[in-house]
Amino acid sequence: MQQPDIRKWFMKQHDKGNDNGNASKPAKPTLAIPGKPSTAKDAPAASAAKPAQGGQESSGRRKTSKYFANDKKNQEDAAEVSGSAAKRKVQSSSADVKPPPVKKQHTVKVDDDDDDDFVLPKTGKSSVESTPNKKLKSSSGKGVSRASVKESDDDADDTPTNAKSGGRGRGRRGGAVGGRGTKLELDEGDAEDEDAKEVKSAGRGRGGRGGSAAAGGGRGGGRGGFMAFGERKDPPHKGEKEVPEGSPDCLAGLTFVISGTLDSLEREEAEDLIKRYGGRITGSISKKTNYLLCDEDIGGRKSQKAKELGTAFLTEDGLFDKIRASNRSKVTKKEESKPQVDKKISTPPPKATPQKVVKKTTESPEKGKAATHASPGVSSAKQKKPTVGSSLPWTEKYKPKIPDEIIGNQSLVKQLHLWLTQWNHHFLGGDSKGKGKKQSDSGAKKAVLLSGTPGIGKTTSAKLVSQMLGYQTIEVNASDSRGKADSKIEKGVGGSTANSVKELVSNQSLSVDMNRSKQPKAVLIMDEVDGMSAGDRGGVADLISSIKMSKIPIICICNDRYSQKLKSLVNYCLPLNFRKPTKQQMAKRLGQIASKEGLKVNEVALEELAARVNGDMRMALNQLQYMSLSQSVINYDDIRQRLLSSSKDEDISPFTAVDKLFDYNAGKLRMDERFDLSMSDPDLVPLLVQENYINYRPSAAGKDEVKRMNLLARAADSIASGDIINVQIRRYRQWQLSQSSSLTSAIIPAALLRGQREVLMPGERNFNRFGGWLGKNSTMGKNYRLLEDAHVHLISSLQFNLGRSTLCLDYLSLLLKHMTDPLKMLPKDEAVEKVVEFMDLYSINQEDLDSMMAMSKFQGHPSLLDGVQPAVKAALTKAYNKGSKLRVIRSADMITLPGIKKAPKKRVAAMLEPVDGGAGEDGDAVAQNEENNSDAEDLEGDDAEEKPKVDIQSLSSKGIQIQTDSRGTGTKKAATGRGRGGGAAAGTSKRKR
Amino acid sequence: MLWVDKYRPKSLDKVIVHEDIAQNLKKLVTEQDCPHLLFYGPPGSGKKTLIMALLRQMFGASAEKVKVENKNWKVDAGSRTIELELTTLSSTHHVELNPSDAGFQDRYIVQEIIKEMAKNRPIDTKGKKGFKVLVLNEVDKLSREAQHSLRRTMEKYSASCHLILCCDSSSKVTEAVRSRCLNVRVNAPKEDQIVKVLEFIGKKEGLQLPPGFAARIAEKSGRSLRRAILSFETCRVQQYPFTNNQVISPMDWEQYVLEIASDIMKEQSPKRLFQVRGKVYELLVNCIPPEVVLKRLLFELLKKLDADLKLEVCHWAAYYEHRMRLGQKAIFHIEAFVAKFMSIYKGFLIASFG
Repeated sequence: MQQPDIRKWFMKQHDKGNDNGNASKPAKPTLAIPGKPSTAKDAPAASAAKPAQGGQESSGRRKTSKYFANDKKNQEDAAEVSGSAAKRKVQSSSADVKPPPVKKQHTVKVDDDDDDDFVLPKTGKSSVESTPNKKLKSSSGKGVSRASVKESDDDADDTPTNAKSGGRGRGRRGGAVGGRGTKLELDEGDAEDEDAKEVKSAGRGRGGRGGSAAAGGGRGGGRGGFMAFGERKDPPHKGEKEVPEGSPDCLAGLTFVISGTLDSLEREEAEDLIKRYGGRITGSISKKTNYLLCDEDIGGRKSQKAKELGTAFLTEDGLFDKIRASNRSKVTKKEESKPQVDKKISTPPPKATPQKVVKKTTESPEKGKAATHASPGVSSAKQKKPTVGSSLPWTEKYKPKIPDEIIGNQSLVKQLHLWLTQWNHHFLGGDSKGKGKKQSDSGAKKAVLLSGTPGIGKTTSAKLVSQMLGYQTIEVNASDSRGKADSKIEKGVGGSTANSVKELVSNQSLSVDMNRSKQPKAVLIMDEVDGMSAGDRGGVADLISSIKMSKIPIICICNDRYSQKLKSLVNYCLPLNFRKPTKQQMAKRLGQIASKEGLKVNEVALEELAARVNGDMRMALNQLQYMSLSQSVINYDDIRQRLLSSSKDEDISPFTAVDKLFDYNAGKLRMDERFDLSMSDPDLVPLLVQENYINYRPSAAGKDEVKRMNLLARAADSIASGDIINVQIRRYRQWQLSQSSSLTSAIIPAALLRGQREVLMPGERNFNRFGGWLGKNSTMGKNYRLLEDAHVHLISSLQFNLGRSTLCLDYLSLLLKHMTDPLKMLPKDEAVEKVVEFMDLYSINQEDLDSMMAMSKFQGHPSLLDGVQPAVKAALTKAYNKGSKLRVIRSADMITLPGIKKAPKKRVAAMLEPVDGGAGEDGDAVAQNEENNSDAEDLEGDDAEEKPKVDIQSLSSKGIQIQTDSRGTGTKKAATGRGRGGGAAAGTSKRKR
Repeated sequence: MLWVDKYRPKSLDKVIVHEDIAQNLKKLVTEQDCPHLLFYGPPGSGKKTLIMALLRQMFGASAEKVKVENKNWKVDAGSRTIELELTTLSSTHHVELNPSDAGFQDRYIVQEIIKEMAKNRPIDTKGKKGFKVLVLNEVDKLSREAQHSLRRTMEKYSASCHLILCCDSSSKVTEAVRSRCLNVRVNAPKEDQIVKVLEFIGKKEGLQLPPGFAARIAEKSGRSLRRAILSFETCRVQQYPFTNNQVISPMDWEQYVLEIASDIMKEQSPKRLFQVRGKVYELLVNCIPPEVVLKRLLFELLKKLDADLKLEVCHWAAYYEHRMRLGQKAIFHIEAFVAKFMSIYKGFLIASFG
């Protein structure tokens, strides 16, 4: 227990140390001297066990948190190596200095991160990392690479003579920057062991690529998201430029606006870069804007306004220069006075003032903590708070105490306040004034409904306002049962909360009488009303009735005002919609809290935090408190890193998921992250992958087309396996296979083919298409239905009794030929007659003809109807329709009408004329006969009994008959009534429905 | 009326192609001892014709008076009721249906309909035929479960309900079902048999057949009699009198598969793969069964392929066809085959020609 506390204490100490350091520049010497002898700063081997441990721990932590950044660097490096020559030129300034340092660096092993900068980084890295010692270094090196890029410039003009001191200074600073509890001694040890030149070269090595790596690291274009592609062009030299490292906060206080496409950075990357160095990004130009960042003057609104306001233009290169320059100046400054360093420095104990050392050794950790809080200059009154409430979550601890402390929504809070103050006036005192007035007054609802996303202070506001007005709050939330109250209230209040609510609400004496006697009035807060679920049967209705009869104010709180459940409730309430506080508001408050807790967070970082939590103050505080456990200084990158992973809880659109899976950097994703991505929509992601995998040029294959084809084949195979697994899952409910399914259908193909997406078809947009399978499958389903219709018609013609697929595969073209060729070759009338005759023979109707046409049409082949005169087509339609009135019913439509399922089941038996058509009048008679039969038949629903009857019918007719099962009630009448003639019409009319 | 339908033999006596089978069937009927039958053989070989002729032989002309019905079944499956709808073709004596249309619920159809038929055992006035015949098409497409449930019911109710099963390949019918049936293998007719039939039709229609023309059609038909007659008539529609070098045009979809195959052979690239996908979709959307597409595609590819690769390509085609049946989204498997082929072929081209 004690150990971590002590460590924490230590870290707080350095923070404070930093503060002090900043305040008084010559701090270092003073600090070093009073520092505990055991941790004498200059001694290469720090013997004090505790500091060492502290350092190790935190560096370990750093290591993990930086894990991705490092990896991304590697990737970026690799990309860079294969990159174009142009890129090299950009680098050449640092590159030409580089070669000698390379070797030295390896011998020296200044830190791993530097190794990353070279072409063979990975192997080197992994081997190097095996020793714990090195890990420490690498963690420190992280900081170095970030801060030091610009050193290369320096180093170039450094002379060997001053190198020694320079090297040392740098070494120390490196440790310090990366530090945050890193052991400084180690770095120094290195510095001492090697001669100055080597140190210097190490510094140089860090220059050049280290910087670009870090920059590319963050978001390697993947986060761009596909929507961005539509709006903006890709940067022309995307990822080709090296992004410099500057000193932290070098852009602090500057405000930027980005416009148009930048030369090499995605917009997000640029924003990130600026934010990292403490700059601020705004959406539009104002007087406060310092720079407009744009590479090409696109003459848009932004640049015009910028010209008006006289805002300076800055190109991307200019931005880089700025960052670089800042670093240089810092470097020189730092060499003058090491201890000053900057805010990020956190050297272990040495910085502790003697005073605190005493405390640390003598007092309990808690007190020590109190001391740390005290020192940043918090008032003594506040000093108590942390001590007392240190176990409380911050959300509780820093809950607003007065309404003014509530962030954002102040107008709403005032409105609530007003409502509550006037409540008595409206509904109790003002009862005599009559109801007419009440209704006209918009503020005169008996209840209020607060709505808004979680964590923005709805409950807090409700409670605070009530408290301020001296109401006693009774809160009922989802943890209470809120079902309908028992109708017999006599049962007593004891039973359920619902009853007590009723009691409370209706008890006039409680409110009115006590009101007079100045007793505390009550207000009922119904929290989470949209969460009334199965257990709270009749909850909302009951609540409404409660509102109607209530003698006390009721405040309802919900998240989603437009929820279906609350529709009725909204009418009875005054709706107050809480909005998310702006990130500036949040950042301000977070900053206050952080400073009370002795946490060092810069404003940009807080804003980032506020933006990331999406307006949820509670979550922001929780995140902050969590981070405070491990770090005492939190900067932009930490927040980014941390919330990048937590943001996964939000919905990822399948497109984003697929983008990420196929992204360059996807190789660095952990397996569980890939599963998360592919599981974000386990149905859609595989379809998207399948639709788009062909478009990716796998970076694994390079230019080798054979290999690419091979990879494609493997991916296709894997996708097919995914389909098989999916069948097992769905059909046999083997849900345990779902991981395998997403593995085979999304992850493996993506892993094989990840790389640059390219366009296969001209005119295609370069982002992922929606899975085509769904659409094609539904078209296929439709066509199969149409084919089935046609098939049934053909079967019922009794000339044909084969399967559907046979029809499609073999018959279709000949059938169509019979129906179209005459139209092309014969004179109009003759042709039409012939075709109609044929259609009648096979009882093909026009819809069938159309669907068969569509089905035999293939892309790029001429349609069979091409070359048929429109007049002929029209004549055909006319002839067919004319014929249909006289025609004997050959086919009956079998479409079941979904609406009328309940209708009594009847059968219409339709007569078929013999094929030769010999019996004209006879047919009539038969039809008459039939009509009767079918009427009689209507009375019986039973299949079994019907069959003999049908038999009789068929015997009485000489032809063959078709029995339809039609359920349309209206159409049925027509069919039976008209006998033979109308049936066809009935059939078609039904069809059209 | 199409010739295929016009010249379809209506009785077992008139059968030209499978005379031996017809005679045997006739004997079966006359001996009043008709077991369950399983007809299998490639498409266009005459299974259906034989079955219809057999039914006529059994029940006389009344077997031809059929009606088409959309039948509903309500099946009680434990906790829930399943409603199914299926088109049936029935006469007084027989019911014909295509249970695989019910998809994965085909099991219930098979169970239910046999029971229902058994319950309503027809009583013929003459007391002769105390049974009905159930004709099940596409038995090979029945799910395994349906086939399992079939085997018990077909024994139990065999007195009142005789089954005639019809399928393309008996290998997809379970052993248990096969052993309960008299298996009738209907071979694809030989080419000279087809020629004989075509000449017979030509004579009836009074056409002048140039020598060798029928043989060419027969050769193109791939030993499917139906196909042969259909394309014979197509030729007649296209051009008459026949000439010796008349083009016998393939089906539209075959033409399309041919195009796909030549696309694949011309270029093996992701782009081409993407185009092929679009074309395969087109075929599938136009209701061409995926198995047929894959098979046809393989044949077209094999025609142009170097002999060294044939074995391997066949292997992969078989592999993916198998997997296609296990899976659901046929396009994935066809695409996987095409990608595999491209990969192999491209590697081969590079290896042998650089």
